[in-house]
Amino acid sequence: MARLKVLLLKEWRESLRNKMVLFGVIFLPIVMVGASIFMLTTGEAESDPVARIALFNMSLLYFMVLPVVIPLAIAVYSIVGEKEQTTLEPLLATPVTDTELFLGKALASAIPAILVNWISFGVFLLTTRFLVGGFLMQTLTLPWLTSIFGVSPLLAMFSVGVTMIVSSRASDARAAYQFSSLAVLPGLIPMIVYSAMKTLVDLRLVLLEGGLLLLGCFIVLRIAIRLFRREQILTRWK
Amino acid sequence: MIQAKGLTRRFGDLIAVDGLDLSIQRGEVFGFLGPNGAGKTTTVRMLASLIAPSGGSATVAGHELGREDRAIRSRVGVLTETPGLYKRLSAKDNLLFFARLYAVESPEKQVEKYLKMLELWDRRDSLAGSFSKGMRQKLALARALLHEPDVLFLDEPTAALDPEAAKTVRELIGSLRTNDRTIFLCTHNLDEADRLCDRIALFKSKLLTEGDPQSLKESMYGRRTVVHLANSKPGIEDELRLPFVTKTEWIDGRLLVSLSDPITENPVLVRRLVELGADVQFVSELKVSLEDLYLDLMEGNHGSA
Repeated sequence: MARLKVLLLKEWRESLRNKMVLFGVIFLPIVMVGASIFMLTTGEAESDPVARIALFNMSLLYFMVLPVVIPLAIAVYSIVGEKEQTTLEPLLATPVTDTELFLGKALASAIPAILVNWISFGVFLLTTRFLVGGFLMQTLTLPWLTSIFGVSPLLAMFSVGVTMIVSSRASDARAAYQFSSLAVLPGLIPMIVYSAMKTLVDLRLVLLEGGLLLLGCFIVLRIAIRLFRREQILTRWK
Repeated sequence: MIQAKGLTRRFGDLIAVDGLDLSIQRGEVFGFLGPNGAGKTTTVRMLASLIAPSGGSATVAGHELGREDRAIRSRVGVLTETPGLYKRLSAKDNLLFFARLYAVESPEKQVEKYLKMLELWDRRDSLAGSFSKGMRQKLALARALLHEPDVLFLDEPTAALDPEAAKTVRELIGSLRTNDRTIFLCTHNLDEADRLCDRIALFKSKLLTEGDPQSLKESMYGRRTVVHLANSKPGIEDELRLPFVTKTEWIDGRLLVSLSDPITENPVLVRRLVELGADVQFVSELKVSLEDLYLDLMEGNHGSA
């Protein structure tokens, strides 16, 4: 546990000094929250409560996108960065276990993604309430809350798992980023389903998604854990 | 401190390390010499329990390879050919990270000790990415030493350095010699090995020979005396008839005499040459370099010693 904490702190310290990672983690939430608030307070939404509710629901979908996209930058640079700096071998020469190393990398990407998503969600709700009024909060039903607080962490873990697999096979950060972006598309299916169903977000559907994502996470993380063995890293990784 | 028996590592059909037997004592500086691709790094990775052997067994720092890998990793330090530092972290943060991973008791104190020892204390807050190659290698050496390892594996520590930086690192390695710490030095820098190592092994997938550098040279070439004569007298070597002379040959007008104990035999040899009418100008010992030995063994000019 102590070593895991050391690994996590190092990952975050490095991420905070990497402009590309910071850009990926901070820029997108600001744009998405800003755009949502702008849409809710201008144009048709200003005079039409129905349109405003529809836009509010659409905005909530962004908080199912952020946990998929935010971990990409952290995970890619965390793994490809180690390769580029040739730091993997000295790291593997320490008593750190394969599991600690894997968890260190995975959680270092997933935790900020989940927290940034929830903070962005909180900022969005507070700003909306202040600018538009409390009536929109009635739209925030149990299925939505379950999605944002229950399903979105699973989306983040799925995204992290896929990115770790892709990054283990890539030697270039940009290539890893591009491939990972494609591979996380299945994680965006919930958003597509929600969009198709407009405001009808059903709890059963949310739970079904959660179950499928849990299975997806299990498969993806299992593969990633296999790739994170010392032997594999030193002899098979590119 | 390191015992290996039949240590083998295969990568598919390729045998990188083939039945390596080693016995290295505590406090010894052991040079592991071989060309690129000989399997030196694979050997280090196996002994540092980074990769598993395909066959054979080994104990490192009293722990059995394959069963007590974590214990081995906590008792060995590894310096890889490339320093492998986190460029966005400061020198101090790089070391603190590793000190904490090794669960060093007082990480701050230990980091300070090695940054001062390697003359990097004044640059402790500078990013590792801003360091010169030599400074990076010194910082990597500090990292390998932080947890006071029993065994220090140095894999080509000076290969990527300019001569000045290489000299600094070489001097540092020399200063690390203690009675308690075993140093396993992988290199193809023969001069470095000759100067630093108590014993060397020549390796090319298999162990070709091992021993202390001087004994190895003597066992392969014997001891040879070079005699410069003012008047080259062909055929004089046949008239020597001295029982201790095992071989004679002419090279560039100089007579090369192989014998076993130059201290006692050279005076006899010189007297005999004078008796035979030779004008002896100089008598010296033919120095064989480790390079000669290495090249002969690698090219297969000699059998294993």
